[in-house]
Amino acid sequence: MQKIYLSASFFFLSILGSFAQTATPKDTTTFRRRKLKLEEVNFVSSYYTQDGNNSAVTGGIGTEELTDVATNFDLTFTRSDAKNRAHTLNVAVGFDHYSSASSDLIDPTTISSASAADNRIYPSVQWSMRDQEKHYAVGAGLSLSTEYDYFSKGANVNFAKFSKDNNREFGVGLSAYLDTWTVIYPIELRTIETNGTRVDNPEAHGSKPRNTFNTSLSLAQVINKRLQLSLLLDLTYQQGQLGTLYQRVYFQDNSLDVERLPSSRFKVPVGVRAHYFVTDKLILRSFYRFYSDNWGIKAHTAELETPFKVTPFISLSPYYRFYAQSAADYFAGYQQHSPGERRYTSDYDLSKFTSHYAGLNFRITSVDGVFGIKKLNTLELRYGHYNRSNGLVSNTVSLAATLK
Amino acid sequence: MNPDLAPRTGEKLYRRVQKLMGNRFELTILAEDEHRAATCLDAAVAEIQRIEAALTTFSDNSLTNQINAMAGIAPVQTSPEVYDLIVRSLRLSELTQGAFDITYGGVDKSLWNFDLHMKALPSPAVAKASVRLVNYRNVVLNPQDRSVFLREKGMRIGFGGIGKGYAAERSKAVLQKIGVKSGIVNAAGDLTAWGLQPNGEVWTIGIADPEAAHQPFSRLNITNMAVATSGNYEKYVVIDGKKYSHTINPKTGLPVTGVKSATIICPNAELADAMATPMMVMGVKVGLNLINQMKGIACVMIDDHNNVHCSDNIRLTV
Repeated sequence: MQKIYLSASFFFLSILGSFAQTATPKDTTTFRRRKLKLEEVNFVSSYYTQDGNNSAVTGGIGTEELTDVATNFDLTFTRSDAKNRAHTLNVAVGFDHYSSASSDLIDPTTISSASAADNRIYPSVQWSMRDQEKHYAVGAGLSLSTEYDYFSKGANVNFAKFSKDNNREFGVGLSAYLDTWTVIYPIELRTIETNGTRVDNPEAHGSKPRNTFNTSLSLAQVINKRLQLSLLLDLTYQQGQLGTLYQRVYFQDNSLDVERLPSSRFKVPVGVRAHYFVTDKLILRSFYRFYSDNWGIKAHTAELETPFKVTPFISLSPYYRFYAQSAADYFAGYQQHSPGERRYTSDYDLSKFTSHYAGLNFRITSVDGVFGIKKLNTLELRYGHYNRSNGLVSNTVSLAATLK
Repeated sequence: MNPDLAPRTGEKLYRRVQKLMGNRFELTILAEDEHRAATCLDAAVAEIQRIEAALTTFSDNSLTNQINAMAGIAPVQTSPEVYDLIVRSLRLSELTQGAFDITYGGVDKSLWNFDLHMKALPSPAVAKASVRLVNYRNVVLNPQDRSVFLREKGMRIGFGGIGKGYAAERSKAVLQKIGVKSGIVNAAGDLTAWGLQPNGEVWTIGIADPEAAHQPFSRLNITNMAVATSGNYEKYVVIDGKKYSHTINPKTGLPVTGVKSATIICPNAELADAMATPMMVMGVKVGLNLINQMKGIACVMIDDHNNVHCSDNIRLTV
């Protein structure tokens, strides 16, 4: 292994040192320099069109692109570190794919992870390093994000270890988000009454911190060609302003305040996910999660989705999710809190409830156009029924069409 | 946030790796869910399999083998697809002075054959004799009935130097047609990329180090662009201190020397695939002279002494 690394870095140095040289080794000689004819100069843009058969080949797509050709390319030399490990820095820099003449030696895991998608609208720096020989990867990142009522600074580190055959992967991630929320009070609480006059409520101004620290552990295992299992465990600790200051609570005596919740919360979701490929046409995707926090909420989520391919272009995907949670210790409904309590909320997301969501997704895709309509290449019909025990029932039907 | 209300999906990258046309194909697309991705990838794979069936020389009833079987005997009517591909191949042969040649399939391996243990080169006469049937000018086309005739008995055509790129280009077209806005089709190192990554960035492509094919020596950012690399990698022999590649010059029958790897960057995967190997055959000077006169195409070559040579439209940064 040591030897490989030496030759690779030698090669790198010799590339860097070689631009000044002009000596070219003798090429295989049977070919001569020659001046190209005009149609050969434009060979690339006319590649399909010159023989008049462009439509059959390009499907009307390729040629448009061909005319819009970038004239310059930037080529950047890469560095490997002393141990020949690949480093990537920044969301923009990562090896998505390689171009090489030899296919079998290409690392099958060259695509950058889709998790970077979240970073699109936020500035962030992400570094990662993957050691193919020792089967591990590490990464770290920093991020900033701003919305009208909060400012967030984030940092994360992660580590993953792969088995030799890549069938098992163990990952650990640590992250911290230090957020600042602008205080927004309900309008009637922005002033308070003292001695018969209304004065400004000093608590209704400024900003409050909310910090979140998270550890996540995951273990994914390909059991066999048909079954994939993964176990997920998260430990999350939050502290700071956790109540939402513009949510009102009405007491038994009809008095009013914003919700008050503890300044810390510890959450533990544990989940297991199993994908079973029954046949080429049918997949069973199941998921179960148990959630518990120190505000007294315990929750169970169970999901089953069974995408079924009726034909290569028509699919049916029934879907069901069950969710049940117990109430937070601090929850009571409208005018049910007694005025002496220290912590209170009437947010029904923190109440006891069960919910069922069942749906069906029907999709048609066609290369030549759905129902013979050339412009229409995907048609999707979704129906969903959601029923929450504390009163929320909804039915949704949506029709989505993708036009080319 | 209440876990029950968490968002479930966004557009993600989905990837399929599959052996197609005897090579490792890797298709990566941006899709909203796994099921939609699978449907799209199925359509792309079906297209590649269709092309494989038409172009393969491993099955007797493929159009390609029907043409070969009738070499020196009679013209064979072909499909528009195969006919057009042959037309483009012959134009590529003209452009590259025969460095690209689909009749290379007719090389006579009984006279001599490259192997990694050889100690001496064949004599120029023996080498020349081995490629006596290799000559794209002996492919006779008749646009009236789209027939193809190989003049000499024993001549054979094959699409090994262009088929993967063509399949990459076609499968990309199928994916775009069914609405896939972003993706990469990587046909064993000949790849074509379109659209943007999920993070809104263009794709970054690594170019393999000819000393270690799994390690990139450089990278570039592209979209709506194809990249193909040809190289000797581990497949070369050293005779009298000189490296000879397993790539054979179709005009002399001798192994190519002087160039370790050649990478072509242009908008079309078929063209990139077809041009990469001829760059090695033509050599640095003639090859880059050709590319520098053409518009919309770029080339990076590494010679036997590890010097990097680029076409004029490439800017180097370290």
